[in-house]
Order: sequence, then structure tokens, then C-alpha cells
Amino acid sequence: MLLANKEGIIVTGPVVNLAAAGAGASVVVFTIPVLVGQLIGLKSVKIRKVILHNNAAGNTTVLIGNGAVGVGIPVLLPALDSLNGLTDSYTAEADFPEVESFANIVAWPAALVGAGTIDIMLEVAVIG
Amino acid sequence: MPDLYIFKAQVGMFDPVALQKHNVCIHYQQNVHYRKVDFLEGIPPFQCIDITAGAGLAAASPTGRVNIVNLEMADSEFGLWRWYPIDDAQVRLYHPSGISKFQLRNLQVPIDMNILFRDPNLVSTEIAVWQNNRPAVEAINGHAFALGAVRLIALGYRFHTVNLESGKESDPELVKAIKAGKEPCTDVWCSGRGIGD
Repeated sequence: MLLANKEGIIVTGPVVNLAAAGAGASVVVFTIPVLVGQLIGLKSVKIRKVILHNNAAGNTTVLIGNGAVGVGIPVLLPALDSLNGLTDSYTAEADFPEVESFANIVAWPAALVGAGTIDIMLEVAVIG
Repeated sequence: MPDLYIFKAQVGMFDPVALQKHNVCIHYQQNVHYRKVDFLEGIPPFQCIDITAGAGLAAASPTGRVNIVNLEMADSEFGLWRWYPIDDAQVRLYHPSGISKFQLRNLQVPIDMNILFRDPNLVSTEIAVWQNNRPAVEAINGHAFALGAVRLIALGYRFHTVNLESGKESDPELVKAIKAGKEPCTDVWCSGRGIGD
């Protein structure tokens, strides 16, 4: 069951693997819900939580934006630390400002070591 | 006379539209039935349907139109329901299956989970069901991921009525007085109405 509160409807995105570094390698980590058949269609999201898992990618940062895939910018949040081999969790209001986006959320690591990757998962509140 | 009427807004659960021995006028499409309530009971919130019938709903997809058979009432009974979804889909209501509910000129207004904080007592979702003339629903998943289910919760009242127009409980004088506005009666709309109908 999903939750509804005054921030909107809280949903989680999929676990997405970030396997390449740089804004040019940015990938979608949460898709704004839109469907032609949906009767009231304009939705936005507020990011509530970001969870990162570092798969031997070295100490690095992850950036989150809402530009196109492969473009990434503009950046929505300050760079979030991802520590080698560890899981990091960041929460809106406590660790980063609450931001709203009307476009798909994308993410990319600033750098990766060797064949390391980063898994990312978002929890968002859907508004609209 | 108790202060009872449809679409009543208040804190908490909603009132029944009639009590024992109260007159009601059931409207189902163009049909009108004059009845008297002789029994009523509350129906606690319950899951009345998974619109996907256990199959889930694929990303960015609508369902077909599905009858909510669990909201059907027995003969001579009508149900008064408010409802909300607990999965993040937009839900279109039809009552009966061929008539859109919440229909504006250019839009059929859907219900989604936002109803829980935008209309906490669910007054705008209120519908009535006459006997087995159940409503139907469609769900739309706008997400890029599949939903495991699209479940609706309903709560309300069950009313058993007797016929004032024929049979052993008939009372032509009372019906005449109701029609003349001399006796109180609550109108209960148990279906939608087509545009221009």
C-alpha cells in the first residue's frame, strides 16, 4: 500500500544501477507519472529520500538533476557522498532541501573506480 | 426530523440519509420508487475490489471497465457508499456501467489517493446503489512501474426498504402526500445521469 499525506502520494522508484560516470552518462532514476489516458495528467515530484549503495566504486559523489538523459543538468541537489562499499541514505529537510521537479529525475556519479558501480533508489512524493 | 441528507460533510464517518420509518425516493436512471426504510445498519470500511483482479496493472496502462459486484445490494435494499483507492492509480467511476459519474462537460473527474487529504470525509465520492445495479470502475496507472493491485475501500450503510406503491406495505395516500411535498422524503440517486439525459 502506498501512502498519501499532505506532501502528496509517496512512492518509491526502482533500484537503478549507475555504471558510468559523468553527466553525459546520466540515467533516469524516477519517471514522472504521465499517461495520455490519465485524466488529470500534470504531475510533479518532491524527492524525500535518496539511498545509495556503492559497489566498489571508490569514494565519490552522486549528482541528481532533472535534465535529459545524457545531459543531466540542471542539478537539483548538492553532490551526495557515496563511500566505497557502503550504503548511504539521505533524507529531505535533514540532509538536503526539499526540491520539486516537473521532469524525470536523473542521476550520475561524479567518478567511478575500475568496474565499480553505484545503485540508487529514490523515494518521492508525487504532487498533482 | 433529523438533519439527514445526501452529500453531508462533517468530521468523521458520515450520517445515514434516512433512519427507520423514514421515507425515501429511489431514483435509478429515469425510474422512481417510493419506499420506506424499515431497517438500516452501518457497513465498516472494507476492500470492495481489486480492479486488476489480482493480475496487477502494467506501467502506463489502463484497465478495462470492471463491475464492483461487492457493492450490490439484496432485493428491496439500497447501499450508501463512500470510497477511496489505496493504490496510486486514477479511478474512473461508472454507475451503472454505461454512465460516467463525476462527468463534466469536458472531463470525467477521476479519484486517486489524494482524495484522502483533499476531501477527508469523502463526501464527494458518495454514491448509492439500488439492489443489484452496481457501479463499475476503470483504473489508470500513470507510473513508469507496474502496480501490484488497484484496490478500493468502501464504507457506508445498508438500508432495507418496503414498497409504498404496491404490495402489503403500500400507502397510496402517503405517496400522494410525498409527491405534493406534504410529507418528508429523502431523494436518493442510485445512478449517474448521461449528459443531456
